[in-house]
Formats: sequence, C-alpha cells, structure tokens
Amino acid sequence: MALNFTINTSNPPLGALLAAEHVKGSVQVSVEEGKDTQLHVSDAIQFNDANSISRYLARVAPSLGLYGANMMEQTEVDHWLEFSARRLCGQPGLTVALGELDKALSLRTFLVGHAITLADLSVWAALKGHKEWPNQGKSFSHVNRWFSFLSSQVPFSSVGNKYTTKKA
Amino acid sequence: MALRELSSLEKFLGLKKPNKYSTQGDKKVPVLQSNNGPALVGLVTIACHLVKEAKRPELLGDSAESRAVVQQWLEHRVTKLDGCTKEDVKTVLKDFNLYLQDKVYLAGNQFTLADIFMYYGIHSLIVELAIQEKEQYMNVTRWFDHIQHYPSIRHHLPPVAVLRNRIYTGRHH
Repeated sequence: MALNFTINTSNPPLGALLAAEHVKGSVQVSVEEGKDTQLHVSDAIQFNDANSISRYLARVAPSLGLYGANMMEQTEVDHWLEFSARRLCGQPGLTVALGELDKALSLRTFLVGHAITLADLSVWAALKGHKEWPNQGKSFSHVNRWFSFLSSQVPFSSVGNKYTTKKA
Repeated sequence: MALRELSSLEKFLGLKKPNKYSTQGDKKVPVLQSNNGPALVGLVTIACHLVKEAKRPELLGDSAESRAVVQQWLEHRVTKLDGCTKEDVKTVLKDFNLYLQDKVYLAGNQFTLADIFMYYGIHSLIVELAIQEKEQYMNVTRWFDHIQHYPSIRHHLPPVAVLRNRIYTGRHH
C-alpha cells in the first residue's frame, strides 16, 4: 500500500510530517510539496486535517506504538492531540496551557507511557510552530527539558530544520 | 550486589557468554580475570570494559564533554552513593534532583552507562521513599521511572511504583 502525502509548504503540518517520518520503515509514504495538505489513501479516501493524518499513519503502523500501548494510553494520546489543536495552535492563553503542560511533564519523560507517541509529536509540532513559545520557554522548565530533548532526536531535528526555516 | 549488576549489564549489552567474577577484600570489589591480559579490578573498570567488548562505545558518551560527564557520575556512584549513610541520603537526593531538573539523562539527551549504574546504585534509596518524598525529589523520580522502564535494564531489581502525576501540588520545591 503506497500512500501519497502532499504538504502545504507555506504552513507545513509538522506533526503529520513527523508521524510520516516515524512510520516510513513500516509503511510506504511519499511526501510531495504542493498547495494543500492532504493524505491520499485511495481515490475514495483522503484526509486533510493534520491530526487525522497523524492518527491514520499511527494506526496503519500499529507495531510502532505511536498510539500508545493500551486503551488508556490511546485515550491520553487523543487528549493531547486535541490539546495541541485547541490550546496551542495560535490560540490566546498560551501561558495557561503551558502551565498545565508543565505540570503534566514534571514526572514524565514522554507525555504518554514510556515511549514516543503521537502526543509528543503533535504537542512538539504545535510549540515549534508557535511564535510565542521561544519567549515563554524559560518559565516552564519541564516543558523546556522535554522540548529540547525531542528537538535533539532524529527525526525531530531533521523535520524541524527542513520545514521551519522554509516557513520563516 | 556488584556482581549482579555486572551480570545485568551483560544481559543488557547482549553479551552471549557470561563472565565469571571473583571478589577482592572486605568491600567485595569485583575482579574479572580476562583470558589474554591482566585481571580487571573494580565495578566501573569492568563495566567500561564490557561496554567496549559489546562494541557500544556511545554508552560511554559520544563527545569529549559527555565522556567526562559519564566518568564523573560513575565515580560519584562508587565514592558517594555506595556507603552513603542515613544522614547523607537527603543531601545526595537533593543535589541529584537539582542536577536532573533540565535533563532527561545524566549526560543530557543521550542514554549512557552512567544512567544504568546510578539507577542500580540509587534503587535501594528510592525503594525506601514515601510517596510524598518521591514527589519532593520529582526530577529524580521522573528519571528513575524512565530508566526502570528503559528496555532490558531492570533485570535483578524489583520495579518501584511511581505516580505519574503530582498529588502534593500545593507545595513548591
């Protein structure tokens, strides 16, 4: 099964790109640059929303555990996907949201379970693309540690470098 | 204790043939008699040797700086942590907690031998902590929980129950 992933280069969906990078060993995904973000699964099925694309990619590669290891973790992942879309993507009230995130990360290395999940990808991508995050970083030490830890890992570093410089 | 740690390290490294160790002196310092050279003495010396044998040099740090940090924590483990008295425990945990505030692993963003041996060494202290104390040293707790879930590290040690959300959030540390 070959998937065709087109990305809008003026507003690249970082979270979905990270998900695509993570699953590329298990699923065939080709990434192309274009006007609109879209994952073409078949002529009958296409996804346009970044979170839907991430969810689909995580589900077709279940062995990677990007959607968590059990039903509880799956629900947690869903929580963070919604959190990133509603509270972090250019919304006002970033400070309050970061406060909650900081509290959640105080006893965790990854947001959900003990390994990388969509939750980390999606929240990291939302912060990476947020104009105010670099100024706010210093006040939230747990978020800051988690963010720079992920930023130092492949594919976060490669995706981050490739697509955010283009955006600026 | 040290011998069990070395055998757990062998399993983690995937070394096929387990070594036979002896001990030396009252403190039971581990000794490894290698086939083609002099005997190796001491926990850290033998551990570094096993890492090289398994061709996993990145576990000793991948830059000059991180190599120095790894050795520093390995030394800290055998000099400060081992044989630390009841009175010292709080200071040791407090300093360690402060150090881990902005780090995922001891050498920053990279998992190393220092994490393995600090985890083995601090396990007996963490087991003794009350829930509230675990939260007080939350950076230690977070690091500890991450390492005990790291693939094939735990072996000879029992898992420690760790809360993943804070419950004493009124207090600031």
